[in-house]
Amino acid sequence: MKDRLFPTQEIGSLPKAPWLLAYIRNQKIEEKQLEDLSKWSKTTGFENESEVRSILASPRTSQAQERLRELASIFAIRYLESAGLDFVYDGEQNRIEMYEHPVRHSNGFEFYGNVRSFDNRYYRKAACVDKVGFRDAYHLDEFKLVKEHAKRPTKVPITGPYTIAEWSFNEYYQQRRSKDFPDLQKLKFETKRDFVLDVAREILSPNLKALVEAGAEWIQVDEPALTTKPDEVPFFVEAFNECTKAVGCKLSLHVCFSNYRLLYPHILELKNCSQLALEFANRGDDRGDAYDQLKLLNEFGDEREIGLGVADVHVDRVESPDLVRHRIEYASKILANPARVYVNPDCGLRTRSWDVAYAKLTSISKGADLARRALSG
Amino acid sequence: MEAHLTGVYPRSEKLVAATRAAVRGNLPQGELDKVLEEDTKALIRLEEQSSLDSFVDGQLNWQDLFRPFTEIFTGIQAATLTRWFDNNTFYRKPIINEKVILKGDALKQYFRVDLLPKGGSKKAILPGPLTFALMSENKAYQSISDLVDDISKALKATVRKLQALGYDRFQFNDPSISSPNRTKNELTTAKQAYETCAQGKGLLQTYFANASNVIDTLLDFPVEAIGIDLYSTPLEALKGHDFNKILGCGCIDGRNSLLESPDRLKAILHKAQEQLHPRDLYLMPNCDLEFLPRSVAEKKLHLLGETKRLLD
Repeated sequence: MKDRLFPTQEIGSLPKAPWLLAYIRNQKIEEKQLEDLSKWSKTTGFENESEVRSILASPRTSQAQERLRELASIFAIRYLESAGLDFVYDGEQNRIEMYEHPVRHSNGFEFYGNVRSFDNRYYRKAACVDKVGFRDAYHLDEFKLVKEHAKRPTKVPITGPYTIAEWSFNEYYQQRRSKDFPDLQKLKFETKRDFVLDVAREILSPNLKALVEAGAEWIQVDEPALTTKPDEVPFFVEAFNECTKAVGCKLSLHVCFSNYRLLYPHILELKNCSQLALEFANRGDDRGDAYDQLKLLNEFGDEREIGLGVADVHVDRVESPDLVRHRIEYASKILANPARVYVNPDCGLRTRSWDVAYAKLTSISKGADLARRALSG
Repeated sequence: MEAHLTGVYPRSEKLVAATRAAVRGNLPQGELDKVLEEDTKALIRLEEQSSLDSFVDGQLNWQDLFRPFTEIFTGIQAATLTRWFDNNTFYRKPIINEKVILKGDALKQYFRVDLLPKGGSKKAILPGPLTFALMSENKAYQSISDLVDDISKALKATVRKLQALGYDRFQFNDPSISSPNRTKNELTTAKQAYETCAQGKGLLQTYFANASNVIDTLLDFPVEAIGIDLYSTPLEALKGHDFNKILGCGCIDGRNSLLESPDRLKAILHKAQEQLHPRDLYLMPNCDLEFLPRSVAEKKLHLLGETKRLLD
């Protein structure tokens, strides 16, 4: 797909299929959900509508639920393909969410209860209570299913080691070395490194290898927490290099809603990362100034590809194809090499409706096409 | 040595469920208020059992450090979600649309002195003026120092009202004051603000950043006590300063579920005493305990009491 300029890609999550959620939660399937299923099956070319309807109309069984989960993945693949993306996945239809999913499938963690995220929203934050370890290759079945059904090349998103550690309590690693560091600040800082590195070695590494063995050609490491504590960015770099050692596929890094200057110069030391997929559109301007941050790459001589966030995932307003084209051209000019530019939404689109997410993705595809045509004269 | 809590306490699983139900429209406000009151009383019972030296209400209905002041002060509106320092939690950035003054509405709703024990010392926790100004979007004032000045006046008026309600201790949570790259001008502005709102009393709580960079200046602030987050500030880095105030020793980590041992806490407090010679020491968490699940926060609260007994 790199034979043409400005390849388009998804970043991660999509809204979950409402009929799957209703089935799992043992709720009544609403007529509106069935109407939406028909509408979206026609729009996306989803070939299993009648099977979904048949399952929804039958008594609930665990076997039927498993099949419905698979069908939700296939549906999301068709959704992304029909929106025109060049690289697709399944919108993480069967992951709990990006933190809890890997943690529940790994050893060494325990959940104590809810912690507030904001207002009346909460999340379950795990404590690392023992040495972390591999339990199962938690994205393997998902990837095999996507590979079997996707008609376009795929890219697997996976939560990175720093974000898993940063979003967890660090009990085990801090306790283990509490005598080594009489000072509390030093103890917390140094044992965070131990934690991040062990997540990389013991959890990420075997998971990445399993995906590559199963045929994954491109894996995107998601690190939304990466710049939360600027002093710890070097921990991530060390961890990334550790877990991607001997991983034979294309690897990229997704970071969003962050001050990208804090990544430099540290991420120049990433050995196996060929693309940075970054959020820009949320920074709120239509002229392109938000994309001036790309000059950082020039400043530090970073010649990697860019996954250019051209659609804001936090608002319903749909970016026009012309605006997408403008953003691509602006970024290409800064980087002085259009071949480095891939095009994507800022982040996963799971907080948008199916309609809005689809309109944004379609606009991205059309905008990339306009940019290609403009460049070819 | 005294032991105190420092900020917002986590909601119980029952209150979490009630707030979720209320958001979905499945629980009337009156029912939610009952659960909130039960939860506040449960916390106060724990404070009594732990023999803390001041009582707080836990601020269980505060959506963030500034939200109550969109009702208590004029000219402020809560807006977009913004990351709360280096945490995976968020606050709604206040927008300052017009002059900030105390309205006084809703004060009793957010400061539940009615639930605190009649006889004990009662502590009110307020946002520090510099943090309030820097974490807001200023659309009304010519400069940040003008905004800080008016916030400090509004806080002073708030303190007076709260004193009349029965509060006798005040704490100003001002994490921005120790954030990296604080300018001399900002610190001067903050000092003037504390001259207005603290007037030589109260505790200035710093957290989430290394306070050693600004400690020289802070020691000149007109407050009685300074709280330091010892998980962000190496104790060694404070050495050599003439600590002419009470030191709030933030050595119980509100951001990690690992339970500290009383012996380790004792050793840290002794070291702080030896190295800094403060007027007195307070044993405290480094920040709000709301970053922990309730069950863990309760253990940390017990630990406060247990360590205090050990030292007594």
